[in-house]
Amino acid sequence: MLGFILRRLLATIPVMLVVGFFVFGLLSLAPGDPAAIVAGDQASPEDVQRIRASLGLDQPFLVRFGTWGGRILQGDLGTSLFTNLPVTTMIAQRIQPTLSLMLVTLAIAVSLAVPLGVVAAWRAGRLVDRCVMGFAVLGFSVPVFVVGYVLAYVFAIKLAWLPAQGYAPIEAGVRPWLASLILPATTLGCAYVALIARVTRATMLEVLQQDYVRTARAKGLGQGTVLFLHALKNAAIPIVTVIGIGIALLIGGAVVTETVFAIPGLGRLTVDAILRRDYPVIQGIVLLFSFTYVLVNLVIDLSYTLLDPRIRY
Amino acid sequence: MLNRRHFLGAGAGTLLASSLPRPALSSGAADKTLRFVPQANLANFDPIWGTQMVVRNAAVLVWDLLYGVDATLKPQRQMVEAEEVSADGLTWTFRLRPGLKFHDGEPVLSRDVVASLERWSARDPMGQMIRAVQVELSAVDDRTFRWVLRRPFPKLLLALGKTTSPCAFIMPERIARTDPFKQINEYVGSGPMTFARTEWIPGARAVFERFAHYQPRPEPASWLAGGKRVLVERVEWQVMPDPATAAAALQAGEIDWWENPIPDLVPLLKGNPAVKVGIADPLGNIGSFRMNHLQPPFDNVKVRRAVLAALNQQDYMRAIVGDDDDLWKPLPGFFTPDTPLYTEAGGGILKGHDLDAARKLLSEAGYKGEPVVCLLAQDQPITKAFGEVTVDLLQKIGLKVDVVATDWGTVGTRRTSKAPPASGGWSMFHTWHGGADCVNPAAYPSIRANGDKAWFGWPNLPGVETSITDWFDAATPEDERKAMAALNTAAMDGVVYAPTGFFLSYQAWRASVSGIRRGPIPVVWGVSKS
Amino acid sequence: MSAAASARVPEPGPTLKAGPTPETDPAPETGPAPETAPAPALDPADFAIAAPLPDVVTLRPPRGRLGRMLHRHPTGVAGGAILLAMLLIAVFAGQLTGFDPAALAPGSRTRFPSMAHWFGTDLMGRDIYARVVYGARVSLAVGFSVALMASVSGLALGLVSGTVRWADGLIMRVVDGLMSIPPVLMAITLMALTRGSVENVVIAISVAEMPRVVRLVRGVVLSLREQPYVDAAITAGTPTPLVIWRHILPNTLAPMTVQATYICASAMIAEAVLSFIGAGIPPSTPSWGNIMAEGRALWQVKFYIILFPALFLSLTVLAVNLLGDGLRDALDPRMAKDR
Repeated sequence: MLGFILRRLLATIPVMLVVGFFVFGLLSLAPGDPAAIVAGDQASPEDVQRIRASLGLDQPFLVRFGTWGGRILQGDLGTSLFTNLPVTTMIAQRIQPTLSLMLVTLAIAVSLAVPLGVVAAWRAGRLVDRCVMGFAVLGFSVPVFVVGYVLAYVFAIKLAWLPAQGYAPIEAGVRPWLASLILPATTLGCAYVALIARVTRATMLEVLQQDYVRTARAKGLGQGTVLFLHALKNAAIPIVTVIGIGIALLIGGAVVTETVFAIPGLGRLTVDAILRRDYPVIQGIVLLFSFTYVLVNLVIDLSYTLLDPRIRY
Repeated sequence: MLNRRHFLGAGAGTLLASSLPRPALSSGAADKTLRFVPQANLANFDPIWGTQMVVRNAAVLVWDLLYGVDATLKPQRQMVEAEEVSADGLTWTFRLRPGLKFHDGEPVLSRDVVASLERWSARDPMGQMIRAVQVELSAVDDRTFRWVLRRPFPKLLLALGKTTSPCAFIMPERIARTDPFKQINEYVGSGPMTFARTEWIPGARAVFERFAHYQPRPEPASWLAGGKRVLVERVEWQVMPDPATAAAALQAGEIDWWENPIPDLVPLLKGNPAVKVGIADPLGNIGSFRMNHLQPPFDNVKVRRAVLAALNQQDYMRAIVGDDDDLWKPLPGFFTPDTPLYTEAGGGILKGHDLDAARKLLSEAGYKGEPVVCLLAQDQPITKAFGEVTVDLLQKIGLKVDVVATDWGTVGTRRTSKAPPASGGWSMFHTWHGGADCVNPAAYPSIRANGDKAWFGWPNLPGVETSITDWFDAATPEDERKAMAALNTAAMDGVVYAPTGFFLSYQAWRASVSGIRRGPIPVVWGVSKS
Repeated sequence: MSAAASARVPEPGPTLKAGPTPETDPAPETGPAPETAPAPALDPADFAIAAPLPDVVTLRPPRGRLGRMLHRHPTGVAGGAILLAMLLIAVFAGQLTGFDPAALAPGSRTRFPSMAHWFGTDLMGRDIYARVVYGARVSLAVGFSVALMASVSGLALGLVSGTVRWADGLIMRVVDGLMSIPPVLMAITLMALTRGSVENVVIAISVAEMPRVVRLVRGVVLSLREQPYVDAAITAGTPTPLVIWRHILPNTLAPMTVQATYICASAMIAEAVLSFIGAGIPPSTPSWGNIMAEGRALWQVKFYIILFPALFLSLTVLAVNLLGDGLRDALDPRMAKDR
């Protein structure tokens, strides 16, 4: 087990290398240049050139990649070209809103989607199933920003139940924190609920055909016990997997949700950084994302051993 | 570097910041906190290094100026108590007001001013002109400094007090000694508010706190001049990239003041009794269709004139301000309307909107179908809207258009290239200039036409340059006006760029906020909240 | 097939037989790349918005039954019908409206829907109905092209990865890396690289979607390798390319088709998101995504600017998803018999 975890952690290194090189290479090819943005609209070409030099952007690609890679190995993600703040600081400032948003979304989505999926599978082909699946499909056929605007209009402006935008840090209290997250999390959760519900239904359908489910039913166990205790437990692995896969989806969706609700999170920081060509920040965030992704998948793999004792590493 | 006093000052600042309750928690604090949505994200905070407007707008809260222009565009004394200029106009002697303090508690001394001016003049176009004729800039004593020139520079005080970025902000000497092409990393100001660095989340928020030891001037405030009396304890800038979000937040009372509501949402805001709407900056902005004078087809003046002849400013203006005709004016010239030196001389060509005349000019020019490479920034609403009108216009008069839809970062870089459009260069891009910069040629680099040294597009029009020199040397208002008329005519004749119109924008605020005034910079002094 | 050609490199027999399959045994393999071993077991679920295929190895149903099965899935048929209608709208866009979708009229902007402008006009005074109708072309083209490009490239890489052992480690590392970058961010980065255009949007979204297909196909191949008939074919000395062509490729097509429909749907949404961020198709070429993105700030006052394209986009994505669900049920006999 420990050996497995170690091997998996070691295996993240080549993945991160691929990601780092890929993103670094892409950005270096991109025509935009932070120097021109820093210099402002009235600056002369000479000024732009001098700022470019002071940022070290006139160095050849491999030299810059080497410098950056060397720093990474020492645990230094570098300094933002714009704010002059360390990338780690900028990420640290932004991580709480994004993490909160994701956790709340996850909580809402899972607690809603799994029961829906189970019920849909149980009633496969019937009206309930059709409704749930119809909703699930609708969930990801409406662009996230449209959902966000409509929710904000109804619940913030018309009903004034919840704030229209912004993020209240958890230090300010759990209630304002939660209140600031309900609308964004619901917005972001739409597509996610749809995804998990569908996966749950599909897996459950399969499990429900298994012999032991039939046996359990034959024993006269209640429908709820069969569904949620026997079947769901055996259907758990794909569901847990898709929750993990969905993290990437969440991060992508967070970009839009954070913009619509003016949440100072990592998604927004990424878009800002890309549009400004703040290379160290982009690279830092992408590395963080991919590391998280790899880590989440590791945790999920480990959770298999809990869900299915036959699996051992 | 840090002496004991610095340390104490900084420590007290942090203590104050952390002991202040979060505004959401206490209604008492809420009245003292002004929540402001700026036009853009404050991505860096060195107003000399980075010259975006938003950086300057934040910097005027934190750093004070020696002079400041007032609503009549005249530079007034700000940190300076008195100045004296020798009869030959070559030696300027300045005396600072007593009691000026930096945010770390240290007094503002002449050597701080000298270092600040040196860093500023390395970056500012007017500063560079002064530098070119400078013999010496030196501190005489703690409160006196002297600027000795080789040639008179009558617009010196304007240079020190203008609103155009970079402004001549006064910083402590140790910070001002930073290479002007590198960023400062300490934000010790001299202005009415301190910058709460620990609360700065670039892209999301920036916080400013009232500086208790600031000494406002006795005069009433007017733009950058007069007494900068801050009536709130805290100003929170909340960055909102999505205008729909900002509109919702203002309606819901979650913010107090929104710098740039988009015109289409203004009717909605006006319909809300809790929200007030007014013109933001009476000097407005001038839209620009900038052409590359070095590369075909715009190297040919007749092709450039064809664009002027065909261009209908109403289309451009409607595209950005909507149906609100109070928000724009036709501009047959290059200078800000309703300012003393405004002129329309030579601007007749812009009044025709004559597509046939344009096509005729194109055929006279022998246009051979070279593609016009349009760099259009999609992430800026104004350039995006201009771009759509332009593509339509150029196609109508028979120019071949190659649209490069991209972001501002790419436009900003690619426009520095003098290469042919096909190999990484460009033919045209859109931008806009703040009306405050365009009242005269002093701080207006994009009107220059000195070839390689000129702004992007590199127009080479000796007639324009002569007129600019004439204006700088003008001794009487009459001479100034004459030079301006000649300049406008020459610039129009050679098409330095094509003005797409003059436009204003709104600002919106909650009815509970009072004291918001019009001006080129949204200043918080005099603004209070009930 | 390029995949078949590149699969010729290794020795046929041993290559296909190597290692226990992750499908049945998630324990670390003794072969190379042990760290990925458990992952493929769950590959069916391994894509952004798609439901998993309960069993990646499906037998192709005989052709005659396909039609009958579709009739058993009315929603799938409805999806197909809506999609067909959208396709017809796209093809006959020119006949459906007299307006030029790119013609500016700043004098009559943001007009409420009327007899003259059925869906109103946008910020530039363009007719929204014309833009929505023409936008069908772009949005459908984006959806279908991305589905095709991501599937074909993903299929090729997945087949190579599943059959050529030495390439597997390399490809999977790269795929892991690409997958760990959120697709939307990847697409924005790629857009920053070039200019906004339909082709670039397609490429950007395809690159972002492709890794998921690679994983799916690889999972299918790995599980197929253990099937007795594949084993038999290999033992009989059939060359690898032929094994792929005859036994593996046909069995990947069913899950691939389903996957492609989901990619198609998600690509249309991704296009809208790119436009929202300002990295999408320039507005001179209307797409449902950029019409909405342009009018979004005005949604409180001029809701119709985003309402109509949103309706069309939602309906189409819905149709594509229904079709995908229908196909999945139809192509998987075990799901079908449950009804």
